[in-house]
Amino acid sequence: MSDSGRAGLRRAPPDPARALPRRRAAAGAAAAAGQVLAPFVLFTAVWALVVGVTRWPEDVLPSPFAVARAFGDVFAKGMLTVYAGETIRRIVLAAVTGVTIGIAAGFVMGLNDWIAALLNPPLRFFQSLSGIAWLPLFLIWFGFSDKTIVVAVWYTLVFPVAFNTMLGVRTVPRLYRYAVLTLGGTWRQIVFQVLLPGAIPYIVGGVRLGIAYGWRALIAAEIVVGSGGLGYLIFKAETFHLTARIIAGMTAIGVLWYLTDYFLLRPLEEATIERWGLVYR
Amino acid sequence: MRAKISVERIVHEYFNPSTWQRVRALDGLSLDVPDGEFVCLVGPSGCGKSTLLYLIAGLTRPTGGRILVDGREVVRPGRDRGMVFQEFAILPWRTVEGNIGHGLEIAQIPRHTKAGTVRRYVALMGLSGFEHKYPHELSGGMRQRVAVARTLAADPEVVLMDEPFASLDAQTRNVMQEELVRIAQHERKTIVFVTHSVDEAIILGDRVVVLTHRPGRVKASMPIEIPRERRRWDVLGAEERFVRYRQDILRMIREEFDAQERGAEAVQA
Repeated sequence: MSDSGRAGLRRAPPDPARALPRRRAAAGAAAAAGQVLAPFVLFTAVWALVVGVTRWPEDVLPSPFAVARAFGDVFAKGMLTVYAGETIRRIVLAAVTGVTIGIAAGFVMGLNDWIAALLNPPLRFFQSLSGIAWLPLFLIWFGFSDKTIVVAVWYTLVFPVAFNTMLGVRTVPRLYRYAVLTLGGTWRQIVFQVLLPGAIPYIVGGVRLGIAYGWRALIAAEIVVGSGGLGYLIFKAETFHLTARIIAGMTAIGVLWYLTDYFLLRPLEEATIERWGLVYR
Repeated sequence: MRAKISVERIVHEYFNPSTWQRVRALDGLSLDVPDGEFVCLVGPSGCGKSTLLYLIAGLTRPTGGRILVDGREVVRPGRDRGMVFQEFAILPWRTVEGNIGHGLEIAQIPRHTKAGTVRRYVALMGLSGFEHKYPHELSGGMRQRVAVARTLAADPEVVLMDEPFASLDAQTRNVMQEELVRIAQHERKTIVFVTHSVDEAIILGDRVVVLTHRPGRVKASMPIEIPRERRRWDVLGAEERFVRYRQDILRMIREEFDAQERGAEAVQA
């Protein structure tokens, strides 16, 4: 028996890369990072070139260097940390609660055909209304507050999580349930030892999608509500025509999302799916 | 003596959504299985053998009649009736150990007792060295051995087996059959074993029950009177009684198969 299995995340297919010395693995990581960064470097170069040739005024299209300066400026003033902190606090709060609600709702729909049939059409209807369209109503109900922002994020996040969970629960082979029932399993054990782990690949996929949607809704809601956060930062910058700051803020939003997805959500998805060899997707 | 399992005039019908018809799978089937007996069910395909197992397990409720286990009517699944399924039904997110110990975990057996039992079955099923592997890392035969071990480790009084060895290669199958007989005798399990292999039924069974074509009833019940020690693949071919049982059972299945064909033609005409 090899002990590599217990700790390793990606051990589903025999991976020859594992056997390579650490130095070569590091080189591989650097190459992967380069592959991610190269398109952005190219994009920035084209951007700098366009600005250099057209010589548009800086409040219309600033150069990458001006944006970098603006980035350094908001960071040095401590604004970036504060505003990004606000945004992160909100997404964490909304994601943790929203994911819980979504999984619970998806489970109920996955287990009970009757409830699923009852809830499915209205849920699909409401899903077609974007969270932004609800903001006026949320503002009337909850005012210019964090509550409005969190509810708007929930609204976009809960649907994909719930639908995917429902799908996941329904995809678990009936035989797994039967087998555990004949071992004397109770319904509680069926839920926590069969349906939940069996639905995990779908749930994680739904969570990843839901948080991506929620992140976009969050920035939009911050713009409208105007009580801090990166959305507010870029919106406020418009008042003073600080175009470079707007783009710096947008970059921060994009980079934060990318890091969250790359270091948190994607590894989570890979860990569950690859570890169990559950690729019945 | 009261039967361990008593199937009383079971009728089972189900709705076939593709033909929009009610199908009668079992038609007043009765069968008694004494405590500790190893009974094999054979019959033409689609005769309701598997359905009968699901009914005894309590996974399906019959349309009519009733099933008693130890004198109590079966209304739901329970750990007194373990089942090994035709397809792989072990959980992909549990290791070999985790799967084999699952029934013991559900029964809240103390950890060290559980570990001992799991170790014993790992060794018995030739799974040593694979304790921490996940099902997708195992061959088909190994996965099915885990499924058998999981059911036996939970120590049910009744073991229901639905063609458990159908997907195994010939050598593994022979080893598993001998192991199963040994365990069944040693631990006095009552076993109902569905198979489409007549040879397998004669090798394993204290008794072979032949079912009619659908809707299924019992056509014949045949005690196998070959001593256990003579029932080995290497010597069985020379056993005169084996050849005779085999012919008789095959003939009966053949009759049922033909009757079914005639029935189908009559419906079409």
